[in-house]
Amino acid sequence: MSLQKSIEVVTKLAELGVIRRYAIAGAVAALNYIQPTLTEDLDILVSITDLETHKSGLLLLSPIEKALAQMGYSERSSVGYMVEGWPVQFLPVASPLDEEALDQAIEVDVDFTGAASMKARCLRAEHIVAIALKVGRLKDLARIEAFLSDGRVDLIALKGVLERHLLLEAWKDFCYKAGISNPLSAA
Amino acid sequence: MSNARSHYPDVSGILARKAEGRRQRAALRFAEKLAILDELRERVAPIVRARELRKKQIANPDQKETG
Repeated sequence: MSLQKSIEVVTKLAELGVIRRYAIAGAVAALNYIQPTLTEDLDILVSITDLETHKSGLLLLSPIEKALAQMGYSERSSVGYMVEGWPVQFLPVASPLDEEALDQAIEVDVDFTGAASMKARCLRAEHIVAIALKVGRLKDLARIEAFLSDGRVDLIALKGVLERHLLLEAWKDFCYKAGISNPLSAA
Repeated sequence: MSNARSHYPDVSGILARKAEGRRQRAALRFAEKLAILDELRERVAPIVRARELRKKQIANPDQKETG
């Protein structure tokens, strides 16, 4: 069981052209910036152009599913495809915020063996925070608090994202709930 | 009231060390953090299995535990 290998398989899917645009999202993307916190799956944001559309309008993950099966990963769990022991959840872009986050994703180094460097695409801090704010579960709000307390998000960039995606009111609510003064007031 | 409060220990040092630990873990390389996540997940696996079993038992109370 290795998260690094799971990510390696995702990068392989990209190399093969099965997914054209992807980025690590959720708790694993947050890892790039803050301390590790427990998660049960690996979220991968993918472009909807990588998916098949059923005549009913539903998006299907069939191309990804087929490619994974060919690579020997045909098991599914309630939260995603089992890849190297980790459930991997492929999340289609579902909003302009997701679209922007995917467009502006950065490359991170996933290798730590000292061998040839392996890179994977990962969301930027400001997009992780904005998406967490939008989703709004308690664990998402705790994640935002960690980004702020560790100073791991560019406040000017974050303000821009929140303005573009009409999330400033949600941000003020978050600050009120967290009992903090709005750090974006000075940004 | 103010006298009673003075008997409470000063935990500011503990909180500062916790914050420092959090900063140190945050500063690790991405790949190192991935390995930590593997370990964390392995550690909580028995708890997750027990939770899943409990959910199944709640959903099917007549079904007996096997294995």
